[in-house]
Amino acid sequence: MNRLPFGPAPTLLLVLFVLSAGWLLFHPARGSGEGRVDQTTLRVWVFARTHYDAYRDIIPQFEQAHPGVKVDLQLVHGQAVTSRMQAAFWADLDVPDLVETEISSVGMFWRGPLEEIGFLDLTDRLRATGLYDRIVQTRFAPWSTRQRVFGLPHDVHPVMLAYRRDLFEAEGIDPDTLDTWDEFIAAGRKVTRDLDGDGTIDRYMIELSDTSYANFEVLLFQRGGGYFDAEGRLTMDDETALATLLWYVPLVAGPGRIGNSLGDQQILTQQVEAGYLLCFICPDWRTRFFENDIPRIAGEMALMPMPAVEPGGRRTSTWGGTMIGITKKSQHHDLAWELAVHLYYATESFDRRFRQTNIIPPIRDAWNQPSLDEPRAYWSGQPIGRLYVDLADETPPQYSSPYAQMAKEKTGEAITECVLYYREHGEDGFADFARTMLKSKADDVRALVRRNPFQ
Amino acid sequence: MSQPSATRFWTLQRKAAPYVFISPFIIVFATFMVYPLIQSILFAFQASSGPKSTAYVGLDNFRFMLRDPDFWTAVRNTATFAFFSVFVQLPLSLGLALLLNARWVRARSFFRLAFFSPHLVGQVFVAVLFSLIFIPRFGLLNRAIHAVLGMGLETKWLMDPSLVMPALVLTALWMYVGFNMIYFLAALQAVDPQLYEAAQVDGANRWKQFIHVTFPGIKPIAVFIMIMSAIGSFQLFELPYVLLRQTPGPNQAGLTIVMYLFSTGFSTGDLGYASAIGWALVLIILTISLAQAKVMGLWKRDA
Repeated sequence: MNRLPFGPAPTLLLVLFVLSAGWLLFHPARGSGEGRVDQTTLRVWVFARTHYDAYRDIIPQFEQAHPGVKVDLQLVHGQAVTSRMQAAFWADLDVPDLVETEISSVGMFWRGPLEEIGFLDLTDRLRATGLYDRIVQTRFAPWSTRQRVFGLPHDVHPVMLAYRRDLFEAEGIDPDTLDTWDEFIAAGRKVTRDLDGDGTIDRYMIELSDTSYANFEVLLFQRGGGYFDAEGRLTMDDETALATLLWYVPLVAGPGRIGNSLGDQQILTQQVEAGYLLCFICPDWRTRFFENDIPRIAGEMALMPMPAVEPGGRRTSTWGGTMIGITKKSQHHDLAWELAVHLYYATESFDRRFRQTNIIPPIRDAWNQPSLDEPRAYWSGQPIGRLYVDLADETPPQYSSPYAQMAKEKTGEAITECVLYYREHGEDGFADFARTMLKSKADDVRALVRRNPFQ
Repeated sequence: MSQPSATRFWTLQRKAAPYVFISPFIIVFATFMVYPLIQSILFAFQASSGPKSTAYVGLDNFRFMLRDPDFWTAVRNTATFAFFSVFVQLPLSLGLALLLNARWVRARSFFRLAFFSPHLVGQVFVAVLFSLIFIPRFGLLNRAIHAVLGMGLETKWLMDPSLVMPALVLTALWMYVGFNMIYFLAALQAVDPQLYEAAQVDGANRWKQFIHVTFPGIKPIAVFIMIMSAIGSFQLFELPYVLLRQTPGPNQAGLTIVMYLFSTGFSTGDLGYASAIGWALVLIILTISLAQAKVMGLWKRDA
């Protein structure tokens, strides 16, 4: 030991370092698809617990039909999916074979040249298998860039209005008479009021945010507007967006307001339960959240189609979305494709999946499933699946872009500025202010878009 | 092996051993610090979509930064937060430290722990906690304000652009006042008690004792805390990111420089511009730290 100049402890540390480094060097992490010699493993990442539960139930069928294939289904937090996938694509690291991605983050994968997108181009497979024509066409929009499709749509996410049926009845509102927004707003102005005389409004007709884009964009999509068009051009300040903004702001600011929002999901459920809000915009996925979060108001809730902008106009919009994509780096593209189609479009799984998630599938073949017509006690006995399916073909497209999130946030800023202006000045000069503000925010986005040399 | 060659071996080993022992650190440091640092300098002069798709753009990222309204919003927000951190948080910390250093205060250890404990749970926990406290109508803060003043039930702390920064500062106060208090306490306890006795003999009142004895005694620590607070404030990320639910807040009222850097790099995928923002942040922090040290006379030689 006296031959060790710094004593035994540092030497031991050095030996441990060399051994562990050597072990790591000769035992690299196993890549996707590697496992036992006679077994192929397909790794799948999903971010939603409801999706995870639904897929877990139908994966054994796939494994039985494909001997020697094992599916490794993993539940990963939504933000972690996005950041880890992006880092993996950039650094050429190990990635799963299949990944579910949410609509708000998918645009960031479309930024680079087409050949460097980490997901497999599915356009030709979709057309060759005929799936392309069986799915609601507008649902390919978020998962496409430069006319190529990189993901299978999981859903349609048509939107209805959910309302407190008991309070509507108490207020004397008949939802069947609210065919247009004008009729809805007129009813809303009667019920939006201070109930206890303390000078604060205690009841609002609908959840609408005065600072965020979240509710606004649903109404913008209903009018056929959006942040980007099919060719990737920024449209957040076009005439449709301006008209929507001019219509929206008085609904959340000033004396005629009928909407308010105190926060998102958990707070929203409190507001609805307390009767502070009578309605809220409700895509199919949100119905399950309410069933889980506030079972106490079961039977007091109901759904109605969104009022139309003009008589006879579109009675729905869209909110949210998920795709499943196959990574280019996967060693098993064909198997991964089969698994993706099985997870999303296997007819025998639709009933169970709908009962678990309340999300209607985007493939029309599935719209005759009995589960869609089942009356739901929570929703006052309404067959909510059928209600959403009846609106599915009217669902407007929602185009994605690497700059979509920024466009959304800039729209939120424009809403905030316009609300502040409207509170102070009312209609006086409001239209000009809104136009200038919207254009200014859109120009911020255009400046960034122009800097991208890869598109 | 002959004796001379064995001696040479052990001599060589003695010379090489230190380098071998520090080599793991050097390798890790070079891989995870030096290489990314150099890479970020290169990126700052490129447009990029991740590290693979890059194009040289010269100073374009920096030119764009100068006229980018979002960057300046982030700078303004961060500077405002840093101002309150230094000029509100630190005096409060010092006041608390003075109070808890006084012998007449009972259960001092308990209060020291109580004031320090918010720091133990971390920024993310505190942000989640305060996001619940700040809920309008149903949240604890508004309920308390309404119970006392009969108003403010619907104050939208995190949804009103004018209230987001006060909410952030309040949250940070709760978290960091106790933490900085510990530093001040340590500094106060290091001041020689004989100096106070001498000052009392000279007829100095408490205020004069503070100005002429306490403050010079704690000045090196105070400068350190100020600089660290300013640096920490300019690196602010988790608190607003979680408190505002991964958004910059209404009208970007909660957007900080690091949040903007993060969203530019990891949401938009423009690592080049994100690197340029990072280097601008380095420059800002360096300038402010040097200015603080200069103003506080850190480099003055003692007479």
